Amino acid sequence: MTAADIRSFFPALSDSVYGKPLVYLDNAATSQRPQSVMDTVSRLSLHANANIHRAVHALAAKATEEVESTREMVRQCLSAASREEIVFTSGTTAGINLVAYAFGEAFVSEGDEIIVSEAEHHSNIVPWQLLCSRKKAILKVLEIDENGELSPAQVEKLISRRTKLIAITHISNVLGVENPAREIIRIAHTHGVPVLVDGAQGFVHRKVDVQDLDCDFYVFSGHKVYAATGTGVLYGKKRYLEAMPPFMGGGEMIETVRFSGTSFAPLPGKFEAGTQHFNGIPSLKPALEFRQKCLDDKELLAEQEAICAFVTEALLSDSRIRLYGVPRRTSDKIPLFSFTVEGAHHEDLALIMDKMGIALRSGQMCAEPLMDHYGVTGMLRASFAPYNTLEEAKYFIACLHKAIDMLV
Amino acid sequence: MTLAEKKAEIVEAFSLYEEWLDKYEYLIELGKDLPPYPEEKKTEDRLIKGCQSRVWLDAELRDGRLYFTADSDAIITKGIISLLIDVYSGRTPKEIAGDDFAFIADIGLKENLSPTRANGLVSMIETIRQMARDSEVLRAEDVAALQPYYTAVIAALKEVYDPEIPVNIYDLGLIYELTISKAHEVFILMTFTAPNCPMADQVLAEVRESVEAVPGITKCTIEMTFEPAWDKSMLSEEARLELGLDYDEDDYGKLDA
Repeated sequence: MTAADIRSFFPALSDSVYGKPLVYLDNAATSQRPQSVMDTVSRLSLHANANIHRAVHALAAKATEEVESTREMVRQCLSAASREEIVFTSGTTAGINLVAYAFGEAFVSEGDEIIVSEAEHHSNIVPWQLLCSRKKAILKVLEIDENGELSPAQVEKLISRRTKLIAITHISNVLGVENPAREIIRIAHTHGVPVLVDGAQGFVHRKVDVQDLDCDFYVFSGHKVYAATGTGVLYGKKRYLEAMPPFMGGGEMIETVRFSGTSFAPLPGKFEAGTQHFNGIPSLKPALEFRQKCLDDKELLAEQEAICAFVTEALLSDSRIRLYGVPRRTSDKIPLFSFTVEGAHHEDLALIMDKMGIALRSGQMCAEPLMDHYGVTGMLRASFAPYNTLEEAKYFIACLHKAIDMLV
Repeated sequence: MTLAEKKAEIVEAFSLYEEWLDKYEYLIELGKDLPPYPEEKKTEDRLIKGCQSRVWLDAELRDGRLYFTADSDAIITKGIISLLIDVYSGRTPKEIAGDDFAFIADIGLKENLSPTRANGLVSMIETIRQMARDSEVLRAEDVAALQPYYTAVIAALKEVYDPEIPVNIYDLGLIYELTISKAHEVFILMTFTAPNCPMADQVLAEVRESVEAVPGITKCTIEMTFEPAWDKSMLSEEARLELGLDYDEDDYGKLDA
């Protein structure tokens, strides 16, 4: 398969903007959705729209089965030990907030420490800050090296007897560099410290085996991996999920409710209070199938590598451009490029290139600490998906040069 | 050149460019020609919020006219600022405050800039307008003309009662600030007796309704604050009488119940 072959599954990719063909390079913010995903949402909305887990009628059974078979598929996809470890959420942010609250209630007290890295998305910083202010705990920050990578040796130094959890990103949404998560987890575990991995970007571009990785929590969003928006997954090791109190109270998450006291439903129901996004969750099935194809197909992977090599070379060879996140091993880089241009503001570049049909992200990308680290007010980011072609990459570089010439 | 003529001139200049990139080229040129802005004026209070890029805007009133200077770190934004300055700098606050700024839409800038940029543009325009309103000079005859409006608006505020305490909100001391512009727009800064007052929305609606019912008043804007927090020392003399309060601490305590 080639990128050109799979483009036809995505109606949006044939659209035009300002009379120019759309070149969508903001995939790290949200991916486009294939027809199969939208067909699933629409089929379920029209023909299997019933609240799950409640009623005994046929429609409710069908809806429930759709959601539960999705859970089984996600379990297999992540190689998780049991379905009880797969909690549906509204996205990565919701997953991290759930852990920050419930893990915090169970395990964190005054003077304890949580470690995050400075390359985190705000979603993997702010929930921990809230937890720390609630519990009078301390947030410690892991620094990145000059290549934008996390160093396991640093983790070893930062861990103390008070460390309760480490939360790191699998792949940064700004740097696009795969972190040595396995090594960090191994070190953390020798100190008995669990690790949460933010997989918002990592899950899209890498196969994930949670048992092999041995992470204690892994979170990702559906909308970045071709599924309906408002869907997401939290994987958590059973022994942690069982020890954690519920995050939200409501219907579905209870066993019995009396005013004298309420007991909670077994996992994963305990963490799925209220009506779930039952029309959207099953869209993860066609989305994950598509993801699997992309991660298995040698031709597609080779094309991605070629794009990665071409764009990296083009950006690095221009002395006016500063590219952030250039790992020692090129295989650690995903096709996500954040950069600044000397003398040209990221917003000006994004506006001009928008008019050329190219969708880019400009600004702080929800990672202000990282912007401060590099001493910039913002960056320009091009993030590619498997459906982006090498021709698009070439057009992007040509337009970038044109835009820079207009501004500098 | 009058304001209308100036705006027409700019709309015509832009109509020469059909392609978006040409419009941007033109804006970039305008941005480059913007006179330098002093570094010491790049302060937090001159920074306009709502822009992805940063914008500093300063105004000076000389001989009854407003003169703007500004800067941005992004060049297209600078171009837009340059347009705004070209049109509005050196005009009277009244002229600026009364303008609809529609020419921005006429040259297609508002719709075609990115949403965050459009917001930035809106913020810029709002700031220029606010500066114009703030610097409106009141002459003796203006003060005399506004006097009856103040009296009427205060009377209207006295019609609104606190749901808990049988005293109107004005005598309770909930109104921290009341201003009426020459365009007869009312601005009210008010508080509530407690931050979690469940009736707050209803009271706000009543205040607006009552004030806007005053003949001649065109608009009522209300802002809520809990800084400083309300306490009983803010009660008017009339309110004290109404509640039968003297300065005995025990009596103050009763109000809390």
